[in-house]
Amino acid sequence: MTSERTRTDLILSARGLNLSRDGVALLKSVSVDIRRGSVTLLLGYNGAGKTLLLSCLHGLIEQDSGQISAPPRDRQKMVFQKPIIMRRTARRHLQFVCPGLPDDQLADWMKRAGIDDRIDAPARALSGGEQQKLALVGALAARPDILFLDEPTAHLDFAATKFIEEMIHEAHDQGTTIVMTSHNRAQAERLGQDVLLLDAGTLVESGPANRFFSAPRHPLSKQYLEHL
Amino acid sequence: MDILTPFQIALTLLATGDAELMSTITLSLLVSLTAVVTSLLIGLPLGAVLAAYRFPGRTPLIVISNTFLGMPPVVIGLLIYLLISRAGPFGFLGILYTPAAMMLAQTVLVLPISIALSRQAFESLNGEYALLFQSLGLGRLARIRALVFEARAALLTIALVCFGRAISEVGAVMIVGGNIRHSTRVMTTSIALATSMGELAYAMALGIVLLLVALAVNIASQLLRNSFRNLGHDV
Repeated sequence: MTSERTRTDLILSARGLNLSRDGVALLKSVSVDIRRGSVTLLLGYNGAGKTLLLSCLHGLIEQDSGQISAPPRDRQKMVFQKPIIMRRTARRHLQFVCPGLPDDQLADWMKRAGIDDRIDAPARALSGGEQQKLALVGALAARPDILFLDEPTAHLDFAATKFIEEMIHEAHDQGTTIVMTSHNRAQAERLGQDVLLLDAGTLVESGPANRFFSAPRHPLSKQYLEHL
Repeated sequence: MDILTPFQIALTLLATGDAELMSTITLSLLVSLTAVVTSLLIGLPLGAVLAAYRFPGRTPLIVISNTFLGMPPVVIGLLIYLLISRAGPFGFLGILYTPAAMMLAQTVLVLPISIALSRQAFESLNGEYALLFQSLGLGRLARIRALVFEARAALLTIALVCFGRAISEVGAVMIVGGNIRHSTRVMTTSIALATSMGELAYAMALGIVLLLVALAVNIASQLLRNSFRNLGHDV
């Protein structure tokens, strides 16, 4: 989407990513550029390869071929669709995922997430929404350069979704680059500045979100937007 | 034999603080707890490494360890006996018929249990946390430390299983300990001796005491588990 942009604008650049498992091509020569400070929405049907691409970009899965240029691992964070929560208190979970976080900042993050009264409760006893908030503040508290979010509001109610979106906005305002997947068109339009559309492991279209939603270029994009 | 007689004898022995019984209980606990702690110190890191990493020789290690799970205690006792008897390669240690030999035999007996169960617990947790650990960029040591902490409830259960196996064992400790009064006589060998001498009520009484000791250890572990929970550790 950014062939016209200079490389210095980019925080992450991937070229020709290929990934196969058991003879099935899951990512097919995918190339993406992520602008520094942008919110990029990764869209596509279930099984299109969104989570796989996110995992490759974050370095959780090694691609068979292709190259990725990204910030160092300690400057990246990822929040999973199903939050991975440790068997310890919410406070100790945050201390684990964000080592060195001062106590006052930790308490402040919990307060902003509205779960400060559960700070010493077992983290796994929190509700699904509270666990997702905990996972998100655990990632944001580290002030990463780039944050990967895999359907961060899937299965969440309106209030929790609103909170997560506010936190994404705030992180973005403070300069964090966001790359996230979503199946929610309204959310994609609210948050997205750039869009990448994947279909069966192939990057179908990429570009500015407003242009993508108003005038998609690829037939598959038009078809996808009709269903979204 | 009156069904109540063993209970009466057991209560009398405990109430009067029978010196021989107390020394037997003390030695039983000392030998078994030492074996459990030693096997956990060796078995837990091995289980964690086998669970978290793939390396050449891993599968043969698992197979050998699992084979020892089914090894009869008397065979383990015999092997240890051959190793530490005067003519054996470790005869110079002079530990045959001492509590040290019994600790060694029980350690060998429960070590495969601590390896197998901890590997299973760590494998399950590692599967659950692998992506998070990778995302956080944790090194090997940090991963193993986190896994051990996360598995603390399972480890308590593993320790109990190992203790149950050790305290109830008779064949191996009989062979390498010799069941010497005031020296290497533990509860199970006392029961075996009493039974062979026809003192069935006394043997049964010792069995009841053994059960009470196991009950006390389990209550203690449950209290420990509850204290974890009260601290919000979600075990």
